[in-house]
Amino acid sequence: MARYLLRRMNLFVATSLVLLAVLFIATHHFPVEIRFALTGIHAPTVEQIAQIDRDYRLESNQLGQFIGYLQQRVTGNLGVSATSQQPVIDELAAVLPASFELAIVAAVLALLFGIPLGILASMSKNKITQHTIMTITLTGYSIPVFWLGLTLSLWFGVQLGWLPISGQLNLLYEIDPITGFVLIDTLLSDSPYADSAFIDALQHIILPAVTLAVLPFTVVVRSTRSAIISIMDKTYIKAAEARGLHTSHIVLRHALPNALIPVLKSLGLMLGTFASYAMIVEVIFSWPGVGAWLVSGIYQRDYTVIQGGVLAVALIIIFLSIMIEVLHTAINPLSRKELYAAN
Amino acid sequence: MPLLDIRNLTIELDTPHGRVKALDKVSLTINPAEIHGLVGESGSGRSLLARAILGIPGHNWTIKADRMLWDGHNLLEMSSKQRRNLMGSDIAMIFQDPSSSLDPVIRVGTQLVEAMPENKKLPFWRRNADKKKTARKWLHKVGIKDTQKIMSSYAWELSEGECQKVMIAMAIANQPRLLIADEPTNSMEMDTQAQIFRLLTKLNQLQDLSILLISHELETLSIWCDRLSVMYCGQIMESGPTAEILAHPYHPYTKALLNNIPHHTGQIAHKSIMRTLPGSAPTLQHLPIGCRLGPRCPRAEKKCVIRPNLSHKKNRYFACHFPYQEETCNDDTSASS
Repeated sequence: MARYLLRRMNLFVATSLVLLAVLFIATHHFPVEIRFALTGIHAPTVEQIAQIDRDYRLESNQLGQFIGYLQQRVTGNLGVSATSQQPVIDELAAVLPASFELAIVAAVLALLFGIPLGILASMSKNKITQHTIMTITLTGYSIPVFWLGLTLSLWFGVQLGWLPISGQLNLLYEIDPITGFVLIDTLLSDSPYADSAFIDALQHIILPAVTLAVLPFTVVVRSTRSAIISIMDKTYIKAAEARGLHTSHIVLRHALPNALIPVLKSLGLMLGTFASYAMIVEVIFSWPGVGAWLVSGIYQRDYTVIQGGVLAVALIIIFLSIMIEVLHTAINPLSRKELYAAN
Repeated sequence: MPLLDIRNLTIELDTPHGRVKALDKVSLTINPAEIHGLVGESGSGRSLLARAILGIPGHNWTIKADRMLWDGHNLLEMSSKQRRNLMGSDIAMIFQDPSSSLDPVIRVGTQLVEAMPENKKLPFWRRNADKKKTARKWLHKVGIKDTQKIMSSYAWELSEGECQKVMIAMAIANQPRLLIADEPTNSMEMDTQAQIFRLLTKLNQLQDLSILLISHELETLSIWCDRLSVMYCGQIMESGPTAEILAHPYHPYTKALLNNIPHHTGQIAHKSIMRTLPGSAPTLQHLPIGCRLGPRCPRAEKKCVIRPNLSHKKNRYFACHFPYQEETCNDDTSASS
C-alpha cells in the first residue's frame, strides 16, 4: 500500500511540474514586459528590478529561469495582483473557501438525490417511471449551465422573489471569517444575528448550489442506474436471492457497494467539467469564489491573478483526481486484488 | 406425496437468434428424503432447471409448465414474495461457480452470518454473536479448519474449493427440505468430495433432507443417489431408481453414458477408440426436432423426428421410441413395434 501511495504521489508531483512548465511558457508569451508578468509590480524601482532579476534568475538561460520560477511559485510567492497590489496568495486564500463551500454543497446535493434516484430507476419495472427519470436526467445533462443559472435566478430570484440571486451573504450581516465557509462561520459567530445570518447564508447558497448540482446529479443517476442494472444480473446477486434475503437488503448491502465503485470513477472523470461549471456559476451568481475572481482577473488583464488562479484550480483538480483514485482503491477490495498482483 | 412434482416444464430463452426451447417438457419428481441425481452434459439445461425450481429466472426466460407442485402448493401461482420466503428456508441451492456466487466487496464472514438462521429465543443483541457461532460450526462441518481466516477474507482471496465449501455451509445452515446441489464438488480434492457427500448423506438420513444432485459424473451420482434422471439437450431421457438404470438402461443415451465409464480393468486394447456416441451435442441454435438425441442415436429411425413421450414402465420413465428391452436385446421386435 505504501508503495502504491508513493507512486500516486509521484504522479501528482510529475503532473504539477508539467503544469508549472506550461504556465512558465505561457507567462513568457503574455503581451507585457516579463517582470510585470511575473510579479505584477507596476513601476518597479531599480532595487526591485534587481531583486526580481535575482529571484527569477532572469540573467540565466531558459532552464535557469524555469528553476527560478519554480522556486518562487513553490515557496508560495505568486506575485502581487496588478489591480489591487495585494499578494495573490492572500487573495487566493480569501476566495478558495467560498468555492469549496459551493462545490461541497453541490456535490452533497448531487449524491444525496442522485444515488437513491438511480436505484429507483434501476429497480422500477414500470416503463413510464424509467423513461421519465431517464428523460429528466438527459435533459439536465444537456442544459447549458449559464442558461440554467440565469433562468433559475430569473424565476426564483426576480419573478417570484423567493431567493437572493447574488453573493454569499446579505451585506447587513457582519460575520468574522473563521473558517472561510460562511455556513460554518455564521454558526460559530457570537453575533446576536448569527441564526438569521445562517438562514440568510443558506438561502444564498440554494440557487448556485442547485445550478451546479444538476450536471453531477444527472451523471450520478445514470451511472448508478447502469451499474446496478448490470450488477443485478451477476451470480452473487442470484445467490443472495437464493438465500432468501429481502430485495431491499440485497440492493443496499450487495448491489449498492458494488455499484458505487463505477459511480466514483465517473465522478473522478467529471472533476474538470465540474470545476469549469463552478466558475460559470460563480460568475452568474456573483459568488465570491475563485472562479469569479479568476474571471475578473482575466477581464482586467491581471496576469499574476490569472497565473495564480489557473495554478490553484489545476492543482486542486489534479490532487482531487488522484485522491479519488486512492479512495477508489481504498474502498474497493477488488482493486486491491489487482494491486496484489502488480506488486 | 412427492416433495416436488414437475410436469412438462418448458423454458424458452429469448436469444438474438430467436426464441429457443432450452428445456423441452421436462418432468421431474422428487420424493421426501430422497437423493435424486440429475446427470447431463454441460449445456444440457441442468442449471436452468435448478434455477427454475428455485425461482430465480433470468430476464429473458419464459417458463411454462403443466404443473409445478412444491409439497402440494403450486409454485407457478405463488407471488415472488412467497417464492422468496421458500428460498433459503425450504429450498436451498449450491451454485455451480462458487467464487462468483460470493459478493466480491463484502467479507465472506459477513455474507455467511447473513445467511445463518436467527435464533428467535435470544434477545436481539445476542443474536448476531449466536449467528457467528453457528456460522463457525457449519464451516467446521464442511471441512474448513481455520474458520477465522476464511471469514475475514474476501471471496477472491479464497480458492475455488474453499468458496464452494462456504456456499455449501450457507445452503445447509438453514436446514432446508430440498437442497439443489449444482456440481457441488467439482473443484475439490477427491477426499474432500467424499467428505462433502458423506455430510450430505448424513443430513439426508438424519434430517430427511431431499437433495437434487446435479453432476456430469454418472459414476459419482450412481454411488450416492437413490434415483437418477438423465438429461440431454434439455430433454429428460430416462428416469428411475439408480440400481435399475445401471443394470438395465432403456434409453440409448443412458447406455452410451454407462459404456463411457472406464472400467480400469486394463482390458481395453491400446489406442482403441473410446466408446462414445458419434458427433457432439448440438448448440442451442441448432437443435434437432423430435428426440434431440436423434442424429447421434445408434437406434434412431424415421419415427424419431416425432418427440417420444415419457413412457412409464413400473417405476421407471423413459422417452424413446425404441428402448432397449430388459430381456436380451432383440432388435427385430423393438424395431417393428
